[in-house]
Amino acid sequence: MRWSKAGSDDHVGGVPARYLAAPASTEEAAEALRAAAADELAVVVRGGGTKLHWGLPPRRLDLILDTHRLTGVVEHAAGDLITVVRAGTRLSELDFGTQQLALESPLPGATVGGALAANTSGPRRLLYGTARDLVIGMTVVRTDGTVTRSGGKVVKNVAGYDLGKLFTGSYGTLGLITECAFRLHPVPPARAVALCEAEPAEVGRLLAAVRAEQVVPSAVEVDRTESGPVSLAVLLEGTAEGVRERAARLEKVLGGTTGDLPPWWGTYPWPPDGVGMKLTARLSRVPDLLDTPPGTTVRGSAGTGVLYAHVTGDVGGAVERLRATAVRAGGHAVVLTAPGEVRRAVDMWGPVPGLELMRRVKDRFDPQHRFAPGRFVGGI
Amino acid sequence: MVDATWGTHDAPRDVLGPVAGTPAFDEHRPPRTDLISDCVHCGFCLTTCPTYALWGEEMDSPRGRIYLMKTGLDGEPMSDSMVQHYDRCLGCMACVTACPSGVRYDRLIEDTRAQVERRFERPPRQRALRAAIFALFPYPRRLRLLRGPLRAYQASGLQQLVARSALLTRLGPTLATLESLAPRLSAVPRPPRLVPAAGSRRAVVGVLTGCVQSAFFPDVNSATIRILAAEGCDVVVPPAQGCCGALSVHNGREAEAQRFARRLIDTFDRAGVDHVVVNAAGCGSSMKEYADLLRDDPAYADRAAAFAAKVRDLSEILVELGPAAKRHPLPLTVAYHDACHLGHAQGVRAQPRALLAGIPGLTVKEIADPEICCGSAGIWNVLNPEPAAELGARKARTVLDTGAELLVTANPGCLMQVAASVRRLGGDIALAHTAAVLDASIRNLGTDQLLARRS
Amino acid sequence: MTPLQELAATLRAALGADRIVDDRQELRTYECDGLAHYKVTPGLVVLPRDAEECALTVRACTALGVPFVARGSGTGLSGGALPHAEGVLVVTSRMREIVEIAPADERAVVEPGVINLQVTKAATPHGYYYAPDPSSQQICSIGGNVAENSGGAHCLKYGFTTNHVLGAQIVTPDGALVELGGAAPDTPGYDLLGAFVGSEGTLGIATRVTVRLTRLPESVRTLLAAFATTDEAGAATSAIIAAGVVPAAIEMMDALAIEAAEAAVACGYPAGAGAVLIVELDGPAAEVAAQFGEVRELCERNGAFELRIAADEAERALFWKGRKSAFAAVGRISPDYIVQDGVIPRTALPEVLHRIGEVAAAHGVRVANVFHAGDGNLHPLVLFDAATEGEAERAETVSGAIIDLCIEYGGSITGEHGVGMDKAKYMPRMFTGDDLETMHLLRCAFDPAGLANPGKVFPTPRLCGEVPRQHSATDAPAPAEIF
Repeated sequence: MRWSKAGSDDHVGGVPARYLAAPASTEEAAEALRAAAADELAVVVRGGGTKLHWGLPPRRLDLILDTHRLTGVVEHAAGDLITVVRAGTRLSELDFGTQQLALESPLPGATVGGALAANTSGPRRLLYGTARDLVIGMTVVRTDGTVTRSGGKVVKNVAGYDLGKLFTGSYGTLGLITECAFRLHPVPPARAVALCEAEPAEVGRLLAAVRAEQVVPSAVEVDRTESGPVSLAVLLEGTAEGVRERAARLEKVLGGTTGDLPPWWGTYPWPPDGVGMKLTARLSRVPDLLDTPPGTTVRGSAGTGVLYAHVTGDVGGAVERLRATAVRAGGHAVVLTAPGEVRRAVDMWGPVPGLELMRRVKDRFDPQHRFAPGRFVGGI
Repeated sequence: MVDATWGTHDAPRDVLGPVAGTPAFDEHRPPRTDLISDCVHCGFCLTTCPTYALWGEEMDSPRGRIYLMKTGLDGEPMSDSMVQHYDRCLGCMACVTACPSGVRYDRLIEDTRAQVERRFERPPRQRALRAAIFALFPYPRRLRLLRGPLRAYQASGLQQLVARSALLTRLGPTLATLESLAPRLSAVPRPPRLVPAAGSRRAVVGVLTGCVQSAFFPDVNSATIRILAAEGCDVVVPPAQGCCGALSVHNGREAEAQRFARRLIDTFDRAGVDHVVVNAAGCGSSMKEYADLLRDDPAYADRAAAFAAKVRDLSEILVELGPAAKRHPLPLTVAYHDACHLGHAQGVRAQPRALLAGIPGLTVKEIADPEICCGSAGIWNVLNPEPAAELGARKARTVLDTGAELLVTANPGCLMQVAASVRRLGGDIALAHTAAVLDASIRNLGTDQLLARRS
Repeated sequence: MTPLQELAATLRAALGADRIVDDRQELRTYECDGLAHYKVTPGLVVLPRDAEECALTVRACTALGVPFVARGSGTGLSGGALPHAEGVLVVTSRMREIVEIAPADERAVVEPGVINLQVTKAATPHGYYYAPDPSSQQICSIGGNVAENSGGAHCLKYGFTTNHVLGAQIVTPDGALVELGGAAPDTPGYDLLGAFVGSEGTLGIATRVTVRLTRLPESVRTLLAAFATTDEAGAATSAIIAAGVVPAAIEMMDALAIEAAEAAVACGYPAGAGAVLIVELDGPAAEVAAQFGEVRELCERNGAFELRIAADEAERALFWKGRKSAFAAVGRISPDYIVQDGVIPRTALPEVLHRIGEVAAAHGVRVANVFHAGDGNLHPLVLFDAATEGEAERAETVSGAIIDLCIEYGGSITGEHGVGMDKAKYMPRMFTGDDLETMHLLRCAFDPAGLANPGKVFPTPRLCGEVPRQHSATDAPAPAEIF
């Protein structure tokens, strides 16, 4: 187990840490967190550091628990289409041959644990679901250092509470994820991408037309820069013959072409220091999200109703307007990342239903509020 | 069953306490334990049960009723509530169709009902209503006398009975519906005793004329006889057949049902027929069960079994024989409604559809949720008018949703129930028995007459 | 007045007499769910009409400290809806309105008492269906599916209830109506919906559920393959998965299960089969056509002696009829039986089947096997006759031994039926005390008084107490000492 004093880079959202720990195993992590508990240290977990600036800065911070040594594939049972991976492993380093973990990170360098904790997702979430749908088991070290497992290594399993889902997207506020079991999917032999450009007003009709076609796309993505037309890209995966036939049908329906993935595919629309938002809507109202305030770029999964926006200019006004649109459309608008002065000025999370129940969960799992205090919804 | 294993928990406290009172069932044909234990409590019957569809209560589902029977066998007394839940069963037998474990709910509820009739004292009003019904319905002659509510009320000394039991308020709507659907009495002559086969003879069949059928829909009987003759049957129609006992057996009046059954067996035995053809679903299903009804009667047990084996629904015998007479076109869209006692009780679903589909120009539409009873169920709609109306309305909506011009079914009860329900919804659809449609096709009568009888 | 009598009076006044069942015999009809050998007569049954009535009932229970158990159609196979003798059974069978079918949003909003298959029936005219299809789909309720995280034959490709529930309105154990999830995905905050689905009624009662609707596949092709042995059928399954095909379903039945299904529904499976596989592919026609040939070939290569391909929907339905009615059909060949629901890694299938056979033979009981071969979810049906001295106990022993096998091979004690009452005692074999304690933390957040479906899921009753102090870890060195 390596402990060290924190360096100048070891801060979270501008809040400096005092210590740094980098366990190489679940046991070491448990030891570190028991020690942290004994000293009542405030803890933030760090993986690849790609989303450390997301959310709000912690109210206090003593220890950064870094997972860069907690890496590697523990098990890959190809015949059972599952794998067990340590949380610090980078998603980009996973290679299962003819199989894949269908979890993509829009941010290069992201770790498995980080992707889970922040619940990030890529375009193919349409077909494969998100982290919550792919995780089948999880090992977590609780805030007091207790090692605990839920789920298992089989895809089908309803024994006990599905705590993996609770920890997914919890921003490290409930404990440390150390190991995850995932279901895998075969890598499809072929792919094709149907592409077209359309006026925003046309997008709703085109999306409905794609749904009507029964072509089972892996992803339906849109991209709209400022005020230009909307680019639409539909990914089809499968057998060579099947993909060809389906792409031809979509070409006709969309009045477009078949090509390769566009350069913006699977990336967030904001630059490193920009204001990035996540916008959601019920499917039929996705076009509403494309009707953006000036200076806003929108991109993402039109097939699931999850888009991302880069906001510039009057950020406060734009966030408010986008939030109003998203809420009317049955969704939410969350500011994922923003420079410090913006963070202080805007409501990052917006309205969150069930907050009272979430606080009760936090109180049980982290009664001293030592894990990423203040970084999550409602100041959790 | 395995004793519950409570793990590390304590076994639950018995909060009910011991049973009190006389056990529900006596030794004479109680619902059979072995049949009850066939039920594995899977619940597949629930959604097809009309009362569960209405009220969503376990004790008004087949699974719940079987459970009540079990508690009765375990010593629970025949309480008002227990009887109420048995009484509420329509006897549609949809649960028998749905059951993957092959539970004979039909047997169980019949045995249970017989026990209820013998052992349970109903309130006076209920007793009077039931007495009135059974003084009327199983008697075709009395029913004929009732034709026209006014005439009915004034005639035949039934008046007093009717007044005492509030029979008219209960029976009024039913009789009015029957009357409105029935052709004028004088328009249909009594069927002859023997109608020879057209062309070469393929079978000798007897025809059951029925009670409601012969009193209110004699034209259906005429059509039945004509079709059978046209398809090469010598048709024997014994006079004074009496009732088949279906209503009695379905309401626990065991002795009465057995009396009717013996008489009918005697009548048709004398007629010397290969098959006994029935055009009313309820009658056919109970006649096929005569062996069971008379199983304890040494003089009749074997004859009842032989008789039951000869019973055929009209559509069954026609499909067995195969078409001989030419079918003429009927450009019609019809919705076919499975009468419960044809579909669920006799498993006859394909045959009527096949016969209808064999008519050139005719399209058969399926009705949504076909397994759910229309709420007629013999005399159930008389005894339970409100829930029956609700079930009728559900059925009427699905019938109207088909967009068909004509509703075809093989039971007089269903016909009048759906007719009344369609009318209440403000809808309009023509109604016909399967026999009438086939008759119109074989005789090349066109569609006018079929479309004339409307809700 | 006992608390229950007081409660009955309160609820009768508030909701009306027709919502309350307290007649002795009527109560007894609720004493078991689909797992009929556990029986507890409920203290009181309440049949709420809507969410408000449901919440009012729960609030009344909480106020008097009376436990409550939710029940949908009562078809569960783990005793999850087993009533509490001194508690209230809240039955959702009258909350059965389909609130909304929104094909443009690919979702539907339903009340918990709505039957699974009804959702599909309502969605089909719009070109959609509800994908999770437990074998009891014609009768099980969506509320029950949510509680149990129900699976089904097609979850190999499409996932479980949890993957198809987008939102739920729930009554928490303190009687509040809370919205979890919603119309759009990724609601901010903790995924309490994900934790709630499959919590078996211990975290509250779902009163309204938003489910995902799935576009009807363009093409469905179903194949029935007969093999001499389950080994061959297992090898064929492995070969199909190894080829990178993800069928919508791969189901296996062994000879005894086939016999039962034949007796019940005359499904006409090939005579003399030691095992049959039902393999179903669905999706775009071109994909299905390409992969179907491959699946056929793999079945043949692994010893299938007869292959049938469903020519139409009727034949497909017949293939499935045998499978879907198999549990209840076993009632035709055995007076009593126990349904197990263990999961093993699929590759261990042949080995585990042999060991189940050995255990069964050693105890002189027959075991029929029906299972979701694609995902290793076994449903061994342990047959016995309770009337024969000692058979029930032997069947229980075999059933427990099968669970142990599943754990030994790294699987699970339940794949889709839930823990309920039946498997609570096995939980410590699969999870450590710490694991269970962690789950209990969640339980305490929702239900500190422990009134929601007590006695289920967890092997021993636990108290929550106030928000607990973390136990101090005196044995761990403090950071200052480490540097």
